Amino acid sequence: MDLSDSVIDHLRSIVSLPDLTATRYELESEIGRGGIGVVYAARDRELDRRVALKVIDASLSGEARLIAQLEHPSIVPIYEAGVLPDGRAFYAMKLVAGARLDHYVAGSPTLSERLRIIRRVGEALAYAHTRDFIHRDLKPQNIMVGEFGQVYVMDWGVEAVAGTPGFRAPDSPLDRGSDIYGLGAVLRFVLPAAAAPALRAIAAKAMSADPADRYPNSSALLADIERFQEGLAVEAWAEPWWHRVRRFGSRNAVLLWLLAAYAGIKFFLFFLRNL
Amino acid sequence: MDPDTGIGGPVGRFPSTQLSLLDAATTGLLNEALDRVIALYWKPVYRYIRIKFHKNNEDAKDLTQSFFTTALQRDFFARFDPAKAAFRTYLRMAVERFAANEHAAAHRQKRGGDLEFVPVDDQTISSEPAELVYEREWQRQLFALAIDDLRAHCELSGKQLQLRMFEAYDLAESDRPSYGELAARHGIPETSVTNHLAWTRRTLRALVTERLRGVTSGETEFRQEMRRVWI
Repeated sequence: MDLSDSVIDHLRSIVSLPDLTATRYELESEIGRGGIGVVYAARDRELDRRVALKVIDASLSGEARLIAQLEHPSIVPIYEAGVLPDGRAFYAMKLVAGARLDHYVAGSPTLSERLRIIRRVGEALAYAHTRDFIHRDLKPQNIMVGEFGQVYVMDWGVEAVAGTPGFRAPDSPLDRGSDIYGLGAVLRFVLPAAAAPALRAIAAKAMSADPADRYPNSSALLADIERFQEGLAVEAWAEPWWHRVRRFGSRNAVLLWLLAAYAGIKFFLFFLRNL
Repeated sequence: MDPDTGIGGPVGRFPSTQLSLLDAATTGLLNEALDRVIALYWKPVYRYIRIKFHKNNEDAKDLTQSFFTTALQRDFFARFDPAKAAFRTYLRMAVERFAANEHAAAHRQKRGGDLEFVPVDDQTISSEPAELVYEREWQRQLFALAIDDLRAHCELSGKQLQLRMFEAYDLAESDRPSYGELAARHGIPETSVTNHLAWTRRTLRALVTERLRGVTSGETEFRQEMRRVWI
């Protein structure tokens, strides 16, 4: 029997489907595929709800146990982990309805919305780092924006993953500083073409080749973004004097308008007195 | 172009639980393991030789047969070190060395005679690199063997209907019938078609897994090879 290439492709796809007969889940469809595993949409028969089911190599089964320790609003909760009859590991997690960050950004959200997402990602990162957990592969494809604006950071801390070109720090081994680099790369990715130089400088500082030149942690990076949003000078950028003047002007616009109005009235009264 | 040989096809026997290559070697079951290796690799090696060295059907067959015979005589399989490469890669590199030597030897004998021209049809046998053809053929043979195992298993367990569903649906070259059409054809409810196909696919998956386990050196290589098939 000579199987054609198309039949082989079909057979590969059907044998790779996880055998869930001994579990509480029913397979619905494939929703994502990466180097270390496949994610399916499935139905939890017992609780009558849809879940995301990630099937990975048995050697990575520790991943689920580690992620399950992370409890944060921006980290997808793990419901259950198990082993399939063929030896592969799986874990069931919340099925997030929404868009991947790279797709979401293509819809041209406002700058403040883009920065809100970065804040949420940075907060999740800061939390994970306090638990001695690093992400290793932060990139827009691993960040989901939910229907109601929730932000989720996915695919945490798999040893087999060494990052994605363009978002991977030139560090070896990867550590917390590498995640700061990744956060800077994601910030750079979401910034619109006409973004302020201060924001670009924040991304560039986070992405410094030398880890010592980066922000010491994601909270410091977020604080710099907050300073930008409040119209203050950011740590990452030595701004020229005219930028400082313009920033002072826009930050104190009301005061300047009041002063101008006061000067105008004074001048008008002086003019009236000397008529 | 002359057609490929029919030798090296699936042998159609139901596999017992298969030991890894290393386990087989240490438990004195190496010959059984070698049979499994030859069943899976004969065709990929043959295709690799045909394309890489522009051999016609007969020459490629002879060279393939000669490679396996020499490999067995020279204790080739026992010298495999899983720390250095996957068995699939080790075998391909060995074939390349062996065929290159044979090719050079044949060329030396002809030296002084007429120039040797490679027939045009053999040059155009495949537009893909030989390594890719080898990989593809390996997957084709793996599934062909597992489907043979599935057939034997269905015969033994009286699941001929499930097998017919699988053949009509999953082995269809084009225009796959709908579940409704299959149900009408066999006079059974559509849900039975779903269940029958689920059973055959599950069984095929287990049989592919078993075949893979039998031609890899241990758990690590087995998992790597499984990933190559699954993902």
